[in-house]
Amino acid sequence: MDPECSQLLPALCAVLADPRQPVADDTCLEKLLDWFKTIADAGSSLLLLQENPCLVTLLCPVLKPQDLSPRVLAFLLRLAGILAAQEDCFQHLQQGDLLPRLFGEAGPLGGAAWTAPTVRSGWIQGLCSLTQHPSALCFLAHSGAVDTIFSLQGDSSLFVASAAGQLLVHILGLSMQAPAEGHPSLQPAHWPACAQKIVGHIEESLRATATPQVTQALNVLTTMFSHCHDPWTQVLWVHLSPLVACLLEKDPVPAAHSLVDLLLSVARSPVLSSSSCGLWDTLAQTLSRLRASQAGPLALGILKLQECPKALRAQAFAVLLQPLTCVLEATTQAPGLPGSSGPGLQCGVAAIGPVASSEACAGRGGDPTDGELPLAWPPGSVGGTADAPLTAGMLLPSKAACVGLLCQTLAHLELLQPLVSGAPACGGGGGAWPAPTLPLSQPQRPSPWPWAPLLSAAVTILRLCNGSATPTSDTGTHLCAFLAGCVRVQRAALDFLGTLSQGTGPQELVTQVFAILLEYLTSPDSSPTVLKKAFQATLQWLQSSPKPSGGGDLEPHAQLFLRELLPVLPKRLCSPCWDVRDSGLEFLTQTVRRWGGQAGFRHALLASEVPELTEQLLRDPESYVRASAVAAMGQLSSRGLHIIPASPGHPGAQQKSLLEELLHILSTDSEGFPRRAVMQVFTQWLRDSHADVAADTEHFVARVLRVASQDLDWEVRAQGLELALVFLEQTLGQPSSSCPYAMTPPAAAPPSLVAQALQPFCRVQLFDFAFRALFDCDRPVAQKSCDLLLFLRAKTASYSDQQGSSSGPDVASLEAALQRWQAGDQGQPLGDLEPEAVVAVLRSLDLEGLRGALAESSDHAEQSPLSLLQDMLATAGILGENEADCY
Amino acid sequence: MPEIRVTPLGAGQDVGRSCILVSIGGKNVMLDCGMHMGFNDDRRFPDFSYITRNGRLTDFLDCVIISHFHLDHCGALPYFSEMVGYDGPIYMTHPTQAICPILLEDYRKIAVDKKGEANFFTSQMIKDCMKKVVAVHLHQTVQVDDELEIKAYYAGHVLGAAMFQIKVGSESVVYTGDYNMTPDRHLGAAWIDKCRPNLLITESTYATTIRDSKRCRERDFLKKVHEAVERGGKVLIPVFALGRAQELCILLETFWERMNLKAPIYFSTGLTEKANHYYKLFITWTNQKIRKTFVQRNMFEFKHIKAFDRAFADNPGPMVVFATPGMLHAGQSLQIFRKWAGNEKNMVIMPGYCVQGTVGHKILSGQRKLEMEGRQVLEVKMQVEYMSFSAHADAKGIMQLVGQAEPENVLLVHGEAKKMEFLKQKIEQEFRLLPDAKKPRLLHGTLIMKDSNFRLVSSEQALKELGLAEHQLRFTCRVHLHDPRKEQETALRVYSHLKSVLKDHCVQHLPDGSVTVESILIQAAAHSEDPGTKVLLVSWTYQDEELGSYLTSLLKKGLPQGAT
Repeated sequence: MDPECSQLLPALCAVLADPRQPVADDTCLEKLLDWFKTIADAGSSLLLLQENPCLVTLLCPVLKPQDLSPRVLAFLLRLAGILAAQEDCFQHLQQGDLLPRLFGEAGPLGGAAWTAPTVRSGWIQGLCSLTQHPSALCFLAHSGAVDTIFSLQGDSSLFVASAAGQLLVHILGLSMQAPAEGHPSLQPAHWPACAQKIVGHIEESLRATATPQVTQALNVLTTMFSHCHDPWTQVLWVHLSPLVACLLEKDPVPAAHSLVDLLLSVARSPVLSSSSCGLWDTLAQTLSRLRASQAGPLALGILKLQECPKALRAQAFAVLLQPLTCVLEATTQAPGLPGSSGPGLQCGVAAIGPVASSEACAGRGGDPTDGELPLAWPPGSVGGTADAPLTAGMLLPSKAACVGLLCQTLAHLELLQPLVSGAPACGGGGGAWPAPTLPLSQPQRPSPWPWAPLLSAAVTILRLCNGSATPTSDTGTHLCAFLAGCVRVQRAALDFLGTLSQGTGPQELVTQVFAILLEYLTSPDSSPTVLKKAFQATLQWLQSSPKPSGGGDLEPHAQLFLRELLPVLPKRLCSPCWDVRDSGLEFLTQTVRRWGGQAGFRHALLASEVPELTEQLLRDPESYVRASAVAAMGQLSSRGLHIIPASPGHPGAQQKSLLEELLHILSTDSEGFPRRAVMQVFTQWLRDSHADVAADTEHFVARVLRVASQDLDWEVRAQGLELALVFLEQTLGQPSSSCPYAMTPPAAAPPSLVAQALQPFCRVQLFDFAFRALFDCDRPVAQKSCDLLLFLRAKTASYSDQQGSSSGPDVASLEAALQRWQAGDQGQPLGDLEPEAVVAVLRSLDLEGLRGALAESSDHAEQSPLSLLQDMLATAGILGENEADCY
Repeated sequence: MPEIRVTPLGAGQDVGRSCILVSIGGKNVMLDCGMHMGFNDDRRFPDFSYITRNGRLTDFLDCVIISHFHLDHCGALPYFSEMVGYDGPIYMTHPTQAICPILLEDYRKIAVDKKGEANFFTSQMIKDCMKKVVAVHLHQTVQVDDELEIKAYYAGHVLGAAMFQIKVGSESVVYTGDYNMTPDRHLGAAWIDKCRPNLLITESTYATTIRDSKRCRERDFLKKVHEAVERGGKVLIPVFALGRAQELCILLETFWERMNLKAPIYFSTGLTEKANHYYKLFITWTNQKIRKTFVQRNMFEFKHIKAFDRAFADNPGPMVVFATPGMLHAGQSLQIFRKWAGNEKNMVIMPGYCVQGTVGHKILSGQRKLEMEGRQVLEVKMQVEYMSFSAHADAKGIMQLVGQAEPENVLLVHGEAKKMEFLKQKIEQEFRLLPDAKKPRLLHGTLIMKDSNFRLVSSEQALKELGLAEHQLRFTCRVHLHDPRKEQETALRVYSHLKSVLKDHCVQHLPDGSVTVESILIQAAAHSEDPGTKVLLVSWTYQDEELGSYLTSLLKKGLPQGAT
């Protein structure tokens, strides 16, 4: 420990032990514990106690807990736990009989202080830190703490209850560590007493009729199987799995959500998944027993497992697909194909898919057999297995249930789509349990992935939502009524549709996708959030659109779509909702960036009102929109697309006015976002040698820097320096550049050449800005300036070596100015600088030291333990109302 | 009693990172999504793991409601929506929607200023988050979905602050956020109607305090500033971008005008224009005085307060500067502080809370030698003052609100455990919320007898469980009105009249020409015999019996001449 901190510690301990002294900020004690934990982790806790006896004295007031505030009491319990985590320190505290009196019956436990959840939480966390060695286990066994932890599992405070469960797992893990290493096959009956007790408690809870108790047991087991992968966990699962299986026989299945979590954590455990221990049976049974909304997360979890029998994967996939199957059945135009048992069954769906044929469907029973062609939908997706409940029944009881299930399903499938494509999900296994497992190096999505039916389902759902779908059954009619105008489902379906752009399939489906997207983008009923999603999905589909073989950037369908879309865009750019205007502009910027060079697109864009409207939006009342308009105009200009046919006499008139307009925004806009956007556009223009910039780069840079350096927004100033850096790099060459055209001073360049190279920077007042920014009150600006000047110094190093120390009048005045700025004075601009003076000052400045200081930031003072101790001591006793006065 | 589950994910028994999860009638609503500025790590955000383990956030949560723009109520929102992954609707009032991004940007700057700040949101994330916001008007009943509805009430505290009623069927919860029951310089007092929620979740920052009049604090503040300026000193007031700063600006502006003072007042970072813009835009949210004088003089167009330029700090003579950030830990306020700290004539006034470690916290705790970067020591000779201008309801105000809303239960949050215990007793004593066995109570419910079990449940639940359809019983009444105009015009007159009389109720004029007031339906029809008379058909449910009777008696008195 730092000697300065060590000196302050006794005084602080005295403050903490004094119940009359309130403790300052409620974060202070947390930070103090963080500090003690760091010290304990780095060295000996016993030594810490011996060197700072005040800490032991501090722990003693706990013996009179009624005197202490719950916060301090909880702090002391946690501190004791941190210190006693090391066995020698534990023994030391035990000798003083301190631990039993802290954590046993004699302590806060059972007293008035115990009613505060903070104290109960501190007690648990203290024990959790302490339980690191066999002596701690003996202590727990003798103190009766384990029974208290059992009761705390049902605590009224959610966080206490959760921590109690975690502590039980921790204790069980530690108590099993020693015996399990040598004898993984030991039966629980031979396990250490402490472990037996916990397992017995879990068994009892699993047998309980009250759901909360079952939930507690399942949660403890989930935490354990997730974190502990020792061989004994396999023994434990074998021991407990019958009890877990019994839960599935109850109606309804209790604590279904926790049960799913447990089964998945067991399935993910590397110890257990290699030998299924009946797990796959249980998972299959659970899938068929749970309601669709409960089974969905389990199905997703199973499909993301690295190792799993094919048949189980097929069953899981079928569960996930059920709701979409139902949707397609309800709207398909050809229900009741031969071989199906009625309208809206599997074949009606399969007929839409790219792979399956009605014959294949007709010939299939519920279970797949090896060697058969894969189906678009896996078997059993609808009515295929006896276990699977009828999906229509699940979708229809209420609008809320229908919407909830569809959103969940779409989200789950969205997570599967990006996974690598895997082996057939339903090609083997024959449906018999146990089935051979499919070892996979990483989670794979089911194969064949029914891309086309999924796409069809997503489109159908979107149609149901906007009222353009035609229901062909009662279910369809109900769905129409439920989904009409439902924003939640629209959002989920558009997200899913966007993800599906990664696949390939029949062109007519892609055409349908573009058609529905256009409908949404056109419709006056689309809500702003739905429109945003529609724009995103559109962009994804356009980007994934295959390039035509004959060249060009877009295939004809996408081209046509984009042309149809452009007349829609002006309406969105004129929307009364700022977010719609903004989303429209963001979409425009992206499309122009991607396809701005494509003739068809250019032609359509220039023929539309879009460029003109975008220009008008530079004056939008909403600053976010102005910023997006700046970005869009910047992009349009870069692509030569913002020119509205001007008079032949003034071909460049529009271009010029945009630069002026952006400069005007930079100088006058009252909000930061548009000004930042202008700086980004200007930096990009400089990088790309935009025609307006290239015409007189120096003049452009000078004007921009003059405005940016005065800006009140730190990001604008930082971006001003970024632009300055680009200018430097373009003039002097990249740090490691070998560009033959860059004007790089050679290794031993004559002074005149270097001075000449630096002249442009002097003329644009770059150094005035950079040197001043070095002491900017906003750290990122100062850091940026530091980097810029270091770059410059590296470039001019050879020159300054030759020059030796410079001490002209210019240098003196510059150094004086720097000192004033460092002291916080602003003063007048530097005026004209000589390159020689700049180089000399660059050399004399301790830029590395400054960079180091800036990297430390104010955290150096704010987060230091010394500062914490000083603050806590200073605050003691002067507390007033300001403690609670957070705003 | 319906089951309403409340889980505080933050600010249960402390202040900071307010976030409360309410489950009511099968719906899950998150109330506020704040951050704790005292931490730099994960502890600054509420513990969302409780929600994330219930599956996908967007599926689990039906909506998020933000009560006001302070960071301890909305600071975690972009993290929650853009990084944790919530994609559903976020409700807040229009001023909160406008001001929230400014405060979030302000805080993002603070985070960027610190090293090692990972996991923090970007500007784009703030914008994307704001696109998920649905803005609401006061007293507007917003239908989140078919079952869940919310309604905002005025809360005072800061511009745009609102209390929210959350209703599912017949069950309801009111969440106050932060509120103030006494008007201040620019805002009015909180108000709610007698909505009788099942549960009132109220803040309890000042649970045990009866606060002195704010006028006293204002007088103190002005006196101190005046004294410092008179002796030629400079006054620094570190503030956050928007909120309390505007209140103090009005205070100083009025004082400067009255006393004819000449010392300049500056407001840094160019936020004055922005603040003025929002205060002008949302003038209806300010107090009566400001609204009344708005046409003659806009209180937010300051004559004496000018934009600050960095070079002004070196000017000789007295001045007052409002500078950001409010905790003096970085940026312009710290730069000015360092410059002025050495002069005992100068003064710094801290009008708000500062987290441990910041310069603001240190000087408030009386430290006079501060270690700055590079082990430099800054000696603070300037005068340091703390003045609380936070606008929370005190114990009396909280009791007043409980009296207004008449809840069945009260839940205290956003305060200290000990103080809450005290207030709990006071509320129980005064309002007798706990069931008293001896006191007869009227209950509406249905007794279900099944498998030798008896259960008393709400009528809605009974209908649901038994699969029965509900038959609505409505009272009807005819009121004859002398009015020769067409039926539609009569209905419009009725609507205008009721709208002006029943300010606390939702009065609507439907496209079919009928008028509704809560469940009461009014239709105008022609009289079969007398063309100069119209018949108003009024009907209402038994739940609105009281209002229905009142309305019919009101209509029987006729319509005022001017009602069109």
